[in-house]
Amino acid sequence: MSRTRRSLRWGAVAIAGMVAGLLPLVTINGAQAVEQDGENIFVVGELQKVDNLNPFKGITVAAYETWALTYNTLTGYSAEDFSPVPQLAESWEASDDNLTWTYHLVDNATFTDGEPLTADDVVYTFKRVIAGESIEKTNYGSYVRNIETVKATDDYTVVMTVKEPTPVMNNLQIPILPEHIWSEIDSNELPKYTNEPDSDPPGMVGSGPFKLVEVVQGQSYRFEANPDYWAGAPNIDGVEFKIYQNDNSLVTALENGEIDFADDLDAKLFATLEGNPDIAAESSVNPAFSYITMNGGAKLTDGSPIPGATGHPSLQDPVVREAIHYAIDKEALVERTLDGRGEPGDTFIPPIYEDQHLEIEDPITYDPDHANELLDQAGYTLGPDGVRTMPDGSDPLVYQLYDRSTSKTSQTTMELVQGWLKDIGIDSNLETVSENRLYGIAGDGTFDMYEWGWSDEPDPDYMTSVFTCGQMSYTSASGKVWAGLNDSFYCNKEYDEVYEAQATEMDPAKRNELVKQAQQMVYDANAYIIYEYYDYLQAYRSDRYTNFTRQPTGDGPLLFQYGIYSYLTIEPVTDGGSDSDSTNTALIIGGVAAAAVLVGVIVWLATRGRRSSESDVE
Amino acid sequence: MTTETAEPVTRSPRAIAWSRRRTSTARFLRNFASYRTGMFGVGILVFFVLVALTAPLIFPVRLLNPNLNLDNESLCHPSWDFYYWLGCDDLGRSVMAELAWGARPSLIVGITASIIAMVIGTLVGIASGHFRGLFGGSMERLTDWFLVLPFVPLVIVLQAVLGQTSIWVTVLVLGITSWPGTARLVRAQTLSVEARPYIERAKVLGNSDWAQMTHHVLPNVMPLVIANTTLTVAIVVLSMTTLAFLGLFDDSIPTSAFEVGGISWGGMLDAADGSGAALLGAWWFLIPPGLCVIAVVLAFTLIGRTLEIVLNPRLGSD
Amino acid sequence: MAQINPSNIESLDLARKGEVQRRPSRVAGLSRFTGRRLLTGLGTLAFVLVVNFFIFQLLPGDPLARYKGAREISAEDLQKLREELDAPIWEQFFNYLKDPLQLDSFSTIQGKHVWDVIWAALPWTLCLLGTATIMATIIGIWIGIRAGWKRGSRFDRVSTGVTLFLYATPEFWLGLILILLFSTGVWIFPGIFPSSSAIDAGVSPGSLEGIISIAYHTILPAAALAAVYLADYSLIMRASMVDELGQDYLTTARAKGLMDRAIRRNHAVPNASLPTITLIFLNIGFVIGGAITVETVFSYPGLGLLTWDAIQNQDLPLLQALFLLFSVSVIVFNILADIAIAIVDPRIRV
Repeated sequence: MSRTRRSLRWGAVAIAGMVAGLLPLVTINGAQAVEQDGENIFVVGELQKVDNLNPFKGITVAAYETWALTYNTLTGYSAEDFSPVPQLAESWEASDDNLTWTYHLVDNATFTDGEPLTADDVVYTFKRVIAGESIEKTNYGSYVRNIETVKATDDYTVVMTVKEPTPVMNNLQIPILPEHIWSEIDSNELPKYTNEPDSDPPGMVGSGPFKLVEVVQGQSYRFEANPDYWAGAPNIDGVEFKIYQNDNSLVTALENGEIDFADDLDAKLFATLEGNPDIAAESSVNPAFSYITMNGGAKLTDGSPIPGATGHPSLQDPVVREAIHYAIDKEALVERTLDGRGEPGDTFIPPIYEDQHLEIEDPITYDPDHANELLDQAGYTLGPDGVRTMPDGSDPLVYQLYDRSTSKTSQTTMELVQGWLKDIGIDSNLETVSENRLYGIAGDGTFDMYEWGWSDEPDPDYMTSVFTCGQMSYTSASGKVWAGLNDSFYCNKEYDEVYEAQATEMDPAKRNELVKQAQQMVYDANAYIIYEYYDYLQAYRSDRYTNFTRQPTGDGPLLFQYGIYSYLTIEPVTDGGSDSDSTNTALIIGGVAAAAVLVGVIVWLATRGRRSSESDVE
Repeated sequence: MTTETAEPVTRSPRAIAWSRRRTSTARFLRNFASYRTGMFGVGILVFFVLVALTAPLIFPVRLLNPNLNLDNESLCHPSWDFYYWLGCDDLGRSVMAELAWGARPSLIVGITASIIAMVIGTLVGIASGHFRGLFGGSMERLTDWFLVLPFVPLVIVLQAVLGQTSIWVTVLVLGITSWPGTARLVRAQTLSVEARPYIERAKVLGNSDWAQMTHHVLPNVMPLVIANTTLTVAIVVLSMTTLAFLGLFDDSIPTSAFEVGGISWGGMLDAADGSGAALLGAWWFLIPPGLCVIAVVLAFTLIGRTLEIVLNPRLGSD
Repeated sequence: MAQINPSNIESLDLARKGEVQRRPSRVAGLSRFTGRRLLTGLGTLAFVLVVNFFIFQLLPGDPLARYKGAREISAEDLQKLREELDAPIWEQFFNYLKDPLQLDSFSTIQGKHVWDVIWAALPWTLCLLGTATIMATIIGIWIGIRAGWKRGSRFDRVSTGVTLFLYATPEFWLGLILILLFSTGVWIFPGIFPSSSAIDAGVSPGSLEGIISIAYHTILPAAALAAVYLADYSLIMRASMVDELGQDYLTTARAKGLMDRAIRRNHAVPNASLPTITLIFLNIGFVIGGAITVETVFSYPGLGLLTWDAIQNQDLPLLQALFLLFSVSVIVFNILADIAIAIVDPRIRV
């Protein structure tokens, strides 16, 4: 008995002590939150996950951003207008026949582990991609298709020869990897290698301005500035990416100052930030589009069907795809998902790239009646349950749809699409999945339709390659099926020829014409339903950081560019924070008062509730 | 329904039994009605049952179809128009309509899953209390083991594994996970009932196990089981809300008055959280669904607690 | 000394505490009781392992597709997996039993050992659940004592109403409301507490600043969890206080002229606390469940968020390991509760 009592009493004292200790700490922290503590870590909040740090595996924009901070490429895109600019290659030139390209490397680049970056590393990286024994070609295959040989003529000169002249040689966006590390990872290990600082061999060793020091997968990625960066150390001490679950917490985090930058915001919430004096809310043009893909017959690169793929046969009929295109109200989607901050889409090169974007002459607009007509004519008869069946009467048209858990736009879109499909006699199940899972589903061809988006590189080659036969899913030596970039399984020999032609066309005007032709073909085939081009909504703490660099100049995005200009130019705001302490104290007092009021209100409500009931039931 | 006034009634004529039942039911109702908190719970429950039944009449299904509400502004403010007293959700749909339709899955899942749990729990409980030896022992063990499984993670994992294609998957998942508490209670009660002399007599008279259980044990256990099941409904409704909030609940949009799935309060909260209702000040989308959940859970809790007191004199002395 | 109090044992039973054993020698009895309790615990663990295997067999579709969906797997492993999954179910079960604790499993989303992934998230959940439990216990017990001592008083009626209300509240909704009130600054109050994550960027958790930052980030999610569970504790505490007050010994104590407060502190409270304290241990399964949604709402990087992530990505090996961990912690806390109560409460003979 006495033992009980004593332990209870001690417990109470200990607990009281802990709580008492906690309260003042909270107050102190409130006061400190605004003061900068020596280190200037620029914290970027985003919704999209870094799906993989391995540059051969990841595909999300978030992943590309981490590599851009870590690695250098031979050439870059200028901040002003995306024109090719030197990066590791301080200069390069082509022979008169455009078949031999010589790149002169900077001589002071070192990897963050101290090893110098030489021509051998460049040769190694390119040769590895060209050999493509494992998954190397998925992300970078389109850059090297024409390259025949790569060799180092001295420590800082790389010479490449190509089969045919190609403009891609001015835009080689392959991160240069340290040979001494990556040569330890054979093609069997490569798909499994996570490329994290504590991986074996150590990952994320690059020659870039930042070095990844801490990873909590799916949650945060912390980089330290590389003080020895060959092009000059950045103005900040580090960068941290934090992944948020939804727009709500992202915006709150920015308002509370937990993060300094919020990427890719929801339009409605973005509007709430516009009046905030401490926050700059910036809307930019965006080289990107949102699309709905349809499984036009999941195949491997060799043309054979993917084992276990489940695409609905009706979607291989171009008429059905066209009908679905007519059934979707893009104007309504722009209004509902973007709050009007965007425009209906049509082709896969967005209008921001004016020279290459194709203006469709007679675009498909919302017309469900016409859609129904098309389906009736094609023999997809409407059953008594309101669902159409295949012309031979076999399968009902019931589709499996997917949307992405990290995107509210995606979910809203597909929910509406589900209704529009119903209007034309197509039933569907909709499932929300992570982007990671969706990528697997895409590669396996186990879907009918889903929503996703692409961000277009300034050079049209990569985006154009997405619709080629060679980018369909492929089987590695072991028999495992991997996703390529082609998630509509649109495969057309003529299209492939146009693609080849633009890839080797050195005259920009003629090349643009070919790219436009490619866009028309994809549009006519309804491989994708590109439903909107959206404005890029970003916001940052203008009371803390300044001097962002837009790309392109004028109305381009501040971060997540084709380059890392802002990370190198931003500076902490130094003064003007003197009165923040008192503001904060006020906030704390306000908060305590608020808590008291809350308790009061609850008690009041509860008493009222009790009065109307009774007290004798326990 | 008999209460605890146990006396040997083994072979009474049917009429006597019926009249006794009538009087005891009346006594029970009078007794229950004297507890105002219990009646308060009944009141809330009746209200929500009416709402659930009449939802399709008051709020036509078109109000729930996002494609038919594209003209409404997203998260539109409450207005004097009856349908929009509580404004719109992120897809421009009437929040009032969603709240009303949302009562349907809550009540249906809550009640059917609890009934499944009640049946399993009662069978297992009586069996483990009545039978000795390996069978009874293993039933008891089974109950103990199931009691230990962490309930919410189990439900979440099961639902995630089985998929969220239909409301009945959720009913099944919650039904087969919520019974161990009932089983334990029933077992204890069975043991105490069987210790009474008249059961001994029945045994001696050679009544079969089945007859003993159905004629003597079950009627005595039933009142407590019902009180317990009412409390289970509260937990099931809360769990279902959690599942829906995590996106693990059927979210197909109802197209006719006979469809009960789709719109749920937990799903509304998920959408409210996802669309930033809090930051946009759209309290009408964030607060009412939560209050509805609380009201229904509270109703079942109050009724269950009152039933416990009314049906269990020992607790009633409290 | 207190007499055997059947109503208290009944309360324990309500708190899922069943096994009241009766043995003559206390010390020998205690160790025997502990041993037996550990044995039944092992039996339960075996059951959990079996459940953990078969639950994941329920997943419809080609099992290989589930692993293929995630991409962190090498060709060799895939081949091995294919062979394993093609085997008959009893053989798979046998294989599973070779490594029931998943020591050899890799998380498909993160490509690391599942236990490494869990280990990294564990401290945050312990911090959150610890804080929440302490808050819930102190406030819950305090309310229960006051309400039970002065039954029928205004305080009793108000607190019972509030706690019943909280008891019926979904934790995550409370979390959302707390964010709305104290984080967003949209309504009356300025945003003073962070709405997400567990620590500020670039702050070392070991430093003083780190500890402050952690406390600051933990308050809201912990409050959301605590508010819901304190309802449970205060209701039980109140009920057992009321039980306790009906006991003869208290009448005796009052007759001896002891001050009310002294009686409360020295007699009623310690005895009445036992069921509540047991409940705290036994509630762990529910608290973990609450942590899943609350951590998701607050993007709090603990096991709950990890569970959510694993579900979203269908990371089955990770989910399997997490479920195992949750089950084992519930088993352990159950055993601890039984043993602790047997040691502390002299009225329970072991």
